[in-house]
Amino acid sequence: MIGRRGKWLLFLYVLFLVVLFLMCSTDLIIREPEREIYQIAVIIEDVRGDNYGNFRKGMEQAAAELNADVHFITLYEQSDVRQQLELMEREKQDGADALIVVPVDERQMAEKQMGIPVIFLHSGRTESTGSGSIVIDYKKMGEELAQEMSKGLEKSSPVLILTDPQKQNSADRYFLDGAETVLMSGGYSVQKIPKDEEGGFGALVQLPETEQEERPVLLAQNTEILTAMAGILSESPEAAKRVRGLYGRGSTLSVLNYLDRGQITGICVTDEFSIGYFSVSAAVRALEGDVVQNPVIMDSYYIEKEDVREPDYEKMLFPIE
Amino acid sequence: MSGKKLFFILFLCVILTSCQNTHKEEQKASIRIGISLYRGDDTFINNICSVVEEKAKEYERENGIKVILDIQDAKGNQNTQNNQVERFISLDCDVLCINPVDRMDASVIIDRAMTAEVPVVFFNRQPVEEDMNRWDRLYYIGVDAKETAVFQGKMIVDLYQKRPEAVDRNGDGVVSYVILEGETSHQDSLIRTEWSIQTLKNGGVPIEKIAGGIANWERSQASALMEQWIHAYPDTIELVVSNNDDMALGAIDALERAGIDGMNVVGIDGTTPGLEALENGKLLGTVSANKEIYGSAIMELAASCALEKELPEEYPLENGTYYWTPQEILIHED
Repeated sequence: MIGRRGKWLLFLYVLFLVVLFLMCSTDLIIREPEREIYQIAVIIEDVRGDNYGNFRKGMEQAAAELNADVHFITLYEQSDVRQQLELMEREKQDGADALIVVPVDERQMAEKQMGIPVIFLHSGRTESTGSGSIVIDYKKMGEELAQEMSKGLEKSSPVLILTDPQKQNSADRYFLDGAETVLMSGGYSVQKIPKDEEGGFGALVQLPETEQEERPVLLAQNTEILTAMAGILSESPEAAKRVRGLYGRGSTLSVLNYLDRGQITGICVTDEFSIGYFSVSAAVRALEGDVVQNPVIMDSYYIEKEDVREPDYEKMLFPIE
Repeated sequence: MSGKKLFFILFLCVILTSCQNTHKEEQKASIRIGISLYRGDDTFINNICSVVEEKAKEYERENGIKVILDIQDAKGNQNTQNNQVERFISLDCDVLCINPVDRMDASVIIDRAMTAEVPVVFFNRQPVEEDMNRWDRLYYIGVDAKETAVFQGKMIVDLYQKRPEAVDRNGDGVVSYVILEGETSHQDSLIRTEWSIQTLKNGGVPIEKIAGGIANWERSQASALMEQWIHAYPDTIELVVSNNDDMALGAIDALERAGIDGMNVVGIDGTTPGLEALENGKLLGTVSANKEIYGSAIMELAASCALEKELPEEYPLENGTYYWTPQEILIHED
């Protein structure tokens, strides 16, 4: 038989176990601070995310540090404004707390009222839009690249701009606009070469043999064209000898490899890792009610083969997560 | 018990059961797939991953079910991959698609997936059978490594039978070859090496091995090895057999640097750069897994697992676990 004292001890013991259980297994006594995970959807203007490698790394780094769950969405059709607007609505309905958008059409997107924070990645517009915006000034980038190209370039060398009129987004247009303005005002002969029916620039492989100072310089509209042209020049050393240089923009691994091997002469780049990081941190700050400085303008840098291994550029081009 | 009470209990049971059924039939509006790659810079894996992204979009459009892909690069580190799996599970992924870093060490991933009841589709690097047998919601998608190797050997055998001088370039009656192998821990590497050479022997090609080395699937390592062999065995090597296209391209880089033209180099995988080299005649041939089917199989299997639906009939599973992607020989035509 258990005595009165024993019963009390047993009761206290059971009570102790119950309290311990409540403390450990539930938040009735010790309430753990709730950590809200922000759902952020990133909607780009392209059908593929290949050119967003460093951007995604920056985005993921910020997501891990700032408690966000970020997912990256590409369009079904290239530069389809209506579809981008539908995807924005869909993401909002599916519970996204904030959106990061690389707009197909900057004007239409800026007018769209979403009811949740939207961070825009603009390619030219500098007025504030949405809850925050990050601006990559592609026009200025085009101007800078054209200035670098024209250093030591004779007026007798024509500049051939490789374009794809069917797939031209606002970044491409601003970039070419900037480059063309500088080159035309510098007195250079500028000619636009659109992609041929086979989707390439076959005619450039058969360029005629000319004197060094009359050889053309190639400028690519975007990263895809730059990579494709560099590939053509690497496959055809004869064609490579007939051009004075190949220039463009972008910092994908393929572009950097071609730059390193000398098929690309110079490129203009931005710090894409930082853009990815800033955009997520701006979205989180907007969600937490902080005022986001409007707009954040990103610098662009001109680099050649020798600059790739410089510590500052190396950190920017090959970021470690 | 009175009749009324019995009727009431039965009524409750019916209500509860029908509620449960309604819940089961409820279609998910979105699925989330966590994908972890052993190395994001592997060309073949990148190609497959791009196809999966394309197929996810197609699936979304055709079925009206949103597909969220979380793609992570494990950078060749098993611990990183284990952490990524942990994160996928905490983010409520419906299914995991894992390209394991260490195929012998998939047990941690399987343990976590089993605890969270999240099915796993492994691809390209096959976990050991004991691990795969632990749960009926583990799947593997890959290619039949023996078939790949036999196809690679057959390319040379066919060429030798048609034009022996194209293979035995110095006409001494023996085809001197070097072989570039993938990682020793990868199941395909050993099988590809063994059966490629066996097929050459079985096909009556008189072969002699000059050198062989492990270049870990990498172009740069293969290029360095080939450079050494060119210096060590000048004017001797007639054939380069490579376990994948990246290493074959590395060998081609070294041959180009040394100014050697026309040597027969064969690869495996049919990667985009490999196909370019094939088109311009630098690569004699490659064995290509049908990447469209490979990527589709990953997407369809993952979606079926996530939605707890029957697996699609066009992807029959061997033993309910393995799907082998069809392959084809691609050879440069003069």
